[in-house]
Amino acid sequence: MTPIELFTSRYSYIVFVALVGIGLYGVINSSNLVKKVIGLNIFQVGIFLFFIASGYVNGAAPPLIEKGAETAYASPLPHVLILTAIVVGVSLTAVALALIIRVYNAYGSLDEDVIREVQLND
Amino acid sequence: MTDALPLLVVIPLFAALFPVALGYLWSDAGWATAAVTALLHLGLASVVAQQVINSGQFSYAVGGFQPPIGIELVADSVTAVLVVLISVITILIVAYARRAGPHQNAFYSELLLLTAGVSGVVITGDLFNLYVFLEITGLATYALVAANRSPAAALASVKYLLVGTIGASLYLLGVGYLYVATGTLNMADLAGQLPAVGYDTPLVVTGFVLLMTGLAIKTALFPLHTWQPNAYAESPHSVTAYIAALVSTAAAYAIFRITYTVFTTSFASVVPLALDALAWAAAISVIVGSVLAVVQSDLKRMLAYSSVAQFGLIIAGIAVMNEIALTGSLVHLVGHAVMKAGLFVAVGGLASIAGGQTIDDMIGLGRRAPIVSLGFATLAFALVGVPPAIGFAGKWQIVLGAVSAGHWAVGVVAVISTMLTLAYFLRIVERLYFRSPSSVDEQTSDMSMNMTTDGGDAMATSISQTTRVIVTLSAISAIALGLAASDLISILEPALEVYF
Amino acid sequence: MSNNADTASDTDTRAESINNPTYVESTIIMTTVRLVVPFIFTFGLFVMFHGADSAGGGFQGGVIVASTVLLLAFAFGIDATRRWIEGPLIRTAIATGGGLFILIGLGALINGQFLEYAAYDIGTTGIKYGIELVELGIGAIVSGVLIGLFFTLARGDMLTEGDIDQRSSQEQHGSDRS
Repeated sequence: MTPIELFTSRYSYIVFVALVGIGLYGVINSSNLVKKVIGLNIFQVGIFLFFIASGYVNGAAPPLIEKGAETAYASPLPHVLILTAIVVGVSLTAVALALIIRVYNAYGSLDEDVIREVQLND
Repeated sequence: MTDALPLLVVIPLFAALFPVALGYLWSDAGWATAAVTALLHLGLASVVAQQVINSGQFSYAVGGFQPPIGIELVADSVTAVLVVLISVITILIVAYARRAGPHQNAFYSELLLLTAGVSGVVITGDLFNLYVFLEITGLATYALVAANRSPAAALASVKYLLVGTIGASLYLLGVGYLYVATGTLNMADLAGQLPAVGYDTPLVVTGFVLLMTGLAIKTALFPLHTWQPNAYAESPHSVTAYIAALVSTAAAYAIFRITYTVFTTSFASVVPLALDALAWAAAISVIVGSVLAVVQSDLKRMLAYSSVAQFGLIIAGIAVMNEIALTGSLVHLVGHAVMKAGLFVAVGGLASIAGGQTIDDMIGLGRRAPIVSLGFATLAFALVGVPPAIGFAGKWQIVLGAVSAGHWAVGVVAVISTMLTLAYFLRIVERLYFRSPSSVDEQTSDMSMNMTTDGGDAMATSISQTTRVIVTLSAISAIALGLAASDLISILEPALEVYF
Repeated sequence: MSNNADTASDTDTRAESINNPTYVESTIIMTTVRLVVPFIFTFGLFVMFHGADSAGGGFQGGVIVASTVLLLAFAFGIDATRRWIEGPLIRTAIATGGGLFILIGLGALINGQFLEYAAYDIGTTGIKYGIELVELGIGAIVSGVLIGLFFTLARGDMLTEGDIDQRSSQEQHGSDRS
């Protein structure tokens, strides 16, 4: 498959790889704790995109059965899985932010290098 | 087929709501709820174990929806042994936390959530359900590590959260790849459908690698272990004992279950590189963990690196695809949980009368705390692998199986790690028994016994009865399990034979 | 009665705009929010009830219901809204929601497997009503947790109301001993 064909037909997977890469780069490279959490969120959103994009069926109806209609239905399973994963991601972000608030109150900075220096000086 | 299987998860989950709801009325609601739930959990675990021993493996369809559409819970003898282990350790830690641990109601709520999560990981037979329970376990652990309100613990918990969530998301991605390949999430069904897709297609191999990487982060194998020393060192003593005993154990169980039930031994014969890479990574983890443990001065950090090494050995035993090594891995999994829980409770007790948890704080404690020191020494030598303790039984089987499967490296690595384990435990035992504190130290310790310190940990004058009982119990069970190791192996055998 | 509420909220918001530099008292926002919030809340309930048969469900509806309280907090001041929604209400919501879900699951054990809605045998099968009740429970939990988290994060530390009570009683018990 030529690169042009890849971009026009499978673009959602390319976006998925890009999001995962950006998210991981954000987590690893930023020194600000909140930016790490944002990077984590972007990483997770990329994974959700992969699931949903792979569950797309061309020309299928939403999975709500109407009386008499005999069309093909899209499977609701990927959507349910991602719903659960989104809720998990939200609660993880909430716990991370609450902990970061406590760290900020104690050390006075959100920057990881500054915090390490403060810890060494203690 | 009993209803006790889902109740193992539901009862702790339900009980976790009570400290939150009743916290206003009764300040001791947390401990009482946790104690009652732990006993109920032990009862349910015994029912499940009884059923498995009498009639073999059974499964339970949640909601009446039959697999492969519905979620299936599966109990075989490995599950039964681990569920009983979870109950016993929960009871011990709840008893220990009565005096020692954080006393807030939120702590007991999170502890019960963690119990529910770990039980769920062990009993489920569905890949996505495993992800949900892994995340419940992770969330409860992140909250528990930060339970003692110190900012260093909060920072350790944030680091753990970032790394652990990436691991769980990689696991989810692996599940997604397998779902795209076969269309099913049920473990037994996947085992049937994966050969049709082809074990050596990039999709399936990448799915395996992602699953294993995600779970290796949760098990803390080198080089993905960096969260563990900080998390163990900064959390309260009861929390460290619980998570050291059970959280990585659940992740290692998940690795075993996925490698053998989903990707059967046929996968190893078609793509030997995948399992070989896992065995090599585990072997490196053993060496690095042991070497790093020798140079530590903080006791809990040393025991954390020791966990890295021991879990490396367990995963190596799982990855060599040999029945004897696999049995050894599971035996060592159970024994390691008991020994580490006892060791961390002993460290908590010793640290409370020494005022600190570094090695040099342990000087001369052999006289001041004879029972706990003796228990610590016994558990240390059991972990090194001195017969007849259970550490020896597990390691011996792993080395035997690995060598007979042709993986000489694992055998050599196990021997080297045993010597290094002896080295770092001897440092502690020497300070406990063979050095006496200098006169200056004795003077200051006498003075501080007469006054209470402000802030931080108040130094106790003696270790509580509960701690002594728990340490003695775990030391005795480490030896008793070692003597009964052949019985344990015969219980595990019927579940493991089907894989070879 | 509405006069009392108005003057109380006026003094609260005035105090808030003095103490909290990020809060700006704006009549337009307050009036708009006061008009719109009941409809958003109803829409949230609508989404919760329709989880079984169409798009929607407990998670989505719970988040919409929580966002009504967040709107009120942004319009009238976070402290004032926190005092209006006391701690017990949030804890009751979480406990009731969770308890409802688990009790429905356990109740099914009498006649069938855990969480088997069909065992209830209400209507055609018990499945539709079982799922509806469970979605309501999930909505209660999600909205309670989100509102509680918002107030906790806004206050700037990890202590919840119960932990403050616990901390004072813990100081009486003495510090950690083992």
